[in-house]
Amino acid sequence: MARAATTSDVFNAIAEQQRREILVLLRSGEGPVTELARELGMTQPGASKHLRVLREVGLVRDRQAGRQRLYGLDARGLRPVHEWTGGFEQFWNESFGRLDAYVQELQQTRQEK
Amino acid sequence: MTTTGPGATEQSATADREITISRVISAPPDLVFEAFTEVRHLSRWWGPEGFTTTTRAFEFRVGGEWDFVMHGPDGTDYQEWISWTEIAPPGRIALLHGESRGDPNAFESVLTFAPDGAATRIVMHTVFPTHELRDEAVEKYHAIEGGQQTLSNLAAYVPEIVRMRVED
Repeated sequence: MARAATTSDVFNAIAEQQRREILVLLRSGEGPVTELARELGMTQPGASKHLRVLREVGLVRDRQAGRQRLYGLDARGLRPVHEWTGGFEQFWNESFGRLDAYVQELQQTRQEK
Repeated sequence: MTTTGPGATEQSATADREITISRVISAPPDLVFEAFTEVRHLSRWWGPEGFTTTTRAFEFRVGGEWDFVMHGPDGTDYQEWISWTEIAPPGRIALLHGESRGDPNAFESVLTFAPDGAATRIVMHTVFPTHELRDEAVEKYHAIEGGQQTLSNLAAYVPEIVRMRVED
């Protein structure tokens, strides 16, 4: 069965480690591909290819600034990811966070006895 | 999330209708296990921050039920029902989770507690009857938490998301 195209599916797009690194870097602001490639230790063609994928799924936008093309984060594209991971997992992650605090308290009480 | 260990091999068959959650808890397995066995423990940690529970019936044995109401911080009540299908201290608990007895949309979760140094790794593997029910559960719990809390996790990754939600 054919997998959803990387270029149309945000989940596939962010499954790639280097593309996630680009997104994290773009949190701190926009930049030209040369700078992004340098900071992440990627080749420029490699970074360009990732940026194109991220732009096509709506996670990155670009604009012309003089001679440079600047790439920036468009976090609205992460909404499907946010919605998918949000509900059930978050409920349990928070419950397990409280469980963690509670059993530590329990352990301490017992050791004091 | 990375899925490893038991269950990983059968993942393909149920991949589109399951959710696996893994977490390290800073206490040994027997203590973590115990926190699941009595209402006085469960009521201290069940649900996200700000949630409380009122128990109508509780019996911790295979086939036993926990019939309770979960109260959200905004005052909304949620009817909850759990029945244990397997109890094997201190390593494994399986339960059926629905809104009431006989709920056709109930789903099964298997919790395993494995030693991780002095701590415990909990893995909770939930398989929903169908892909649609998984998505529905995700949406339901999303609604239960009420947007704000849910955001905290991803917002740590991408602060812009918060701005985007506020602008909506």
